[in-house]
Amino acid sequence: MNKGGVGLGSGAGVGSGAGPTAAAAAAAAQKQKTLLQRVDNDIGNLVDNFGFIVNVSRVNDPPVRNSQEAFMMEMRAARMVQAADSLLKLVSELKQTAIFSGFASLNDHVDQRTEEFNRLTEKTNSELARIGEEAVASLKELESHYYSSTLRTSIPPES
Amino acid sequence: MDGNIKISIDKLPIKRLDAIEENGSERFPSDVDYDENRLNLIRRIDFGWAVEREDPSKKQKSEGTTTSKDSKTTNQQPGQWQSLVENLQLARQELSVIIDLINTVEANDAVTVAGMTRPKQLPNEILSDLAVSTATKLQCFRHLGKYFKQSATALEQQVAREARFYGALIRLQHNWKVKRHRSVAAASGNKGFYIDLFYNTLNDTSASLRPSSMSTIPIEHDTAGMLAVNLPPNSCHSLRFEFLGSHFANNMRRIGETNTRALSEDSTETMKEHANDDECVRETHSLLREVHRAIFDEQVFELISYEACNSSLSVNLTGIQENYLSLSINQGASVSISLLPSSQDNKTDCGAGTNSSETETLPSELLDGSKFGEGKDNVKKLGFPNRISFEIYLQQLFNEYVFVKAKNKTTSSVRSQISGQQSKDNLNILDHFCMSLAHRIFSNKVLSELEYLVCKTPYVQLISHHTWHSRTSSWTLSMKVPQSILHAGSQIQSSGANNVKNVKSQFWTKVVVIDESISVQGEGNPNVVGLFNGKPEITCPINRYECDLADLPIILLQQVASQVIQWLHEEALSLGIKVNRDFLSLAFELDHGEIASLVAHVDPEDTIGCISWWLMIDDGLTEDLKLHPGLSIGESESRKFLGHLSLNVLYSTLLDFVNLCSC
Repeated sequence: MNKGGVGLGSGAGVGSGAGPTAAAAAAAAQKQKTLLQRVDNDIGNLVDNFGFIVNVSRVNDPPVRNSQEAFMMEMRAARMVQAADSLLKLVSELKQTAIFSGFASLNDHVDQRTEEFNRLTEKTNSELARIGEEAVASLKELESHYYSSTLRTSIPPES
Repeated sequence: MDGNIKISIDKLPIKRLDAIEENGSERFPSDVDYDENRLNLIRRIDFGWAVEREDPSKKQKSEGTTTSKDSKTTNQQPGQWQSLVENLQLARQELSVIIDLINTVEANDAVTVAGMTRPKQLPNEILSDLAVSTATKLQCFRHLGKYFKQSATALEQQVAREARFYGALIRLQHNWKVKRHRSVAAASGNKGFYIDLFYNTLNDTSASLRPSSMSTIPIEHDTAGMLAVNLPPNSCHSLRFEFLGSHFANNMRRIGETNTRALSEDSTETMKEHANDDECVRETHSLLREVHRAIFDEQVFELISYEACNSSLSVNLTGIQENYLSLSINQGASVSISLLPSSQDNKTDCGAGTNSSETETLPSELLDGSKFGEGKDNVKKLGFPNRISFEIYLQQLFNEYVFVKAKNKTTSSVRSQISGQQSKDNLNILDHFCMSLAHRIFSNKVLSELEYLVCKTPYVQLISHHTWHSRTSSWTLSMKVPQSILHAGSQIQSSGANNVKNVKSQFWTKVVVIDESISVQGEGNPNVVGLFNGKPEITCPINRYECDLADLPIILLQQVASQVIQWLHEEALSLGIKVNRDFLSLAFELDHGEIASLVAHVDPEDTIGCISWWLMIDDGLTEDLKLHPGLSIGESESRKFLGHLSLNVLYSTLLDFVNLCSC
């Protein structure tokens, strides 16, 4: 994903090039900006709500105000949890983006696996050829041993 | 109007107390009627100015009498003020009455407090209230803390679940194509991931392969949050190749089939803690590989069905059903190719089961033609090769065909036999496979014949040659002559130049089977032209001819026997013996003019030995017997059966003729 981020940044920074590349870079920059904005909003929500909860820790004389603040604290806490959940969803989206957009690393890995499988194929083929040759040699040797053995060299009964 | 403002104060619309007696009884004025009340209100209005305006004379009169009126008004003003004073007095009276009432009430304590101000709290009361408020707020914060802890725990679990899920998904993505259905993700809570196993490398083939129903495999979450690949039972099929009517029990499944995990369906295991993520990913890889292989098998079957229905050079389609084909090939063999569902459930779950792989040993399938000592009939029946090897060969052919034709799109590689065959024979995969199978069956029969012959002919050896071609087989029958002959040959060579002769030490006969045709190539047969000229020893070329399986034994035996005859002939010539050679006989001229013939008799059905030898003495009478084959072929005075002689004995016999023959 770092590679993708760098690529996005460089693409956005260049700003020139072929049409699809520029459009894709612009879309990626816009998406990045949206994500950052979401992160800022969520973090801001967390900070603000937590600050409010800390601020209302003072005990007031009218108990009615305390009850009011209690309800408000619960609301703020729920908002904090909601912001955290939103951040978590954002992380999931980023992971999905990494899965489907990390072409550089994917291509590298695919090439690596392809090369590995090709080597494995060649090795298997050579192994099979070697096994075949060994089988042929073994058969030849066995044949020669058998035909030179006493079982074969014994004279059949003459009439 | 004079311009003076007159103010009239209405009485309050309350019931005014007229008087109150000492005994407490009150007296109120009587109620005023409505009309009277209106009249009172009207009277309050002063219409004098209006009247004076309407009547000026009256005004003058009034002016004339203003002085008198003035005196009168002055007399009326005190009247108006008098009413005001009276009203005030009345009000004062009412107030005094009220005050008296309050004083009375206060004195009697018969009063209900409508409201009172809160008294000022004491410090301890203030502190207690503050403590209660503080405790309440503390409780609220504790509740919040508990809520935060629960939320943090849940979020951490969610993070861990997603980390495991996406980590496994990324690892899967290294080997498989991961895609996402956004609409499915929106509809269900499953994020819509799936794995695409379809590969479209066969776009240019004549047989358009349909994408399998298992090409897309959805990725789901299990109870532990880890990714799980669930397949319906018996959704994967595997290719199976069988010989119909074979006497061998093909009860073994493919090794590849047994490598699928034996995952238990125990629900308790699914609910226990999830296994190692690596194991889970590995199991998923294995499952996907099995599905991939199942798709490959389905495509193989589909291609085979297409070729069986469209082209049938060497194969007859005898039966077709869903996922089943039966074919009839040459050599009287029938095979079936089918897609069988996997017997095991293919559900993988990290929380379920262990990675136990069941392996089965190969049962010992009886190979063909490998039982010496048994009857030829029994050996001839065993012509079927290994079922599994041909099943693998069928898949290998398709795989090579796919990659050779679809990817390379050029001429075949060196080891690509099918493409070479295609360019040469214009065959498809199925034809080539069936011809290979028929060739294998036929070559097994040929091999059984050769082995039997070699078994019954001790001085002949069988050498197998591997051609690395699926439709070509080759063997050599080799016969080595005794070494003593070579020494004798070398001694004679040194003594007489005329008798220099290269005596062969080894004779060979090559048998080559291509598809179902047998070609025999060997040396040792006398040249036909030389026979007619009486000089067969001049050239003994290598003969090559074709035959069928029924004639192969006799032809080979004749070939071997003729090679023995040739060897004996050469030895006799090297020894200086007058000898004539026929196809399978060697005639020696004896001292008394008799001709002794050493005749080879070949009989493939002879259980003792296939080549036996006869000694015939020809003194002019025995020739007639030769011309009458209907006569008895038993021993007689001119014909003696020598038996199944070895090469050493034959050489000894030849040496015996040295003394008998005239050189």
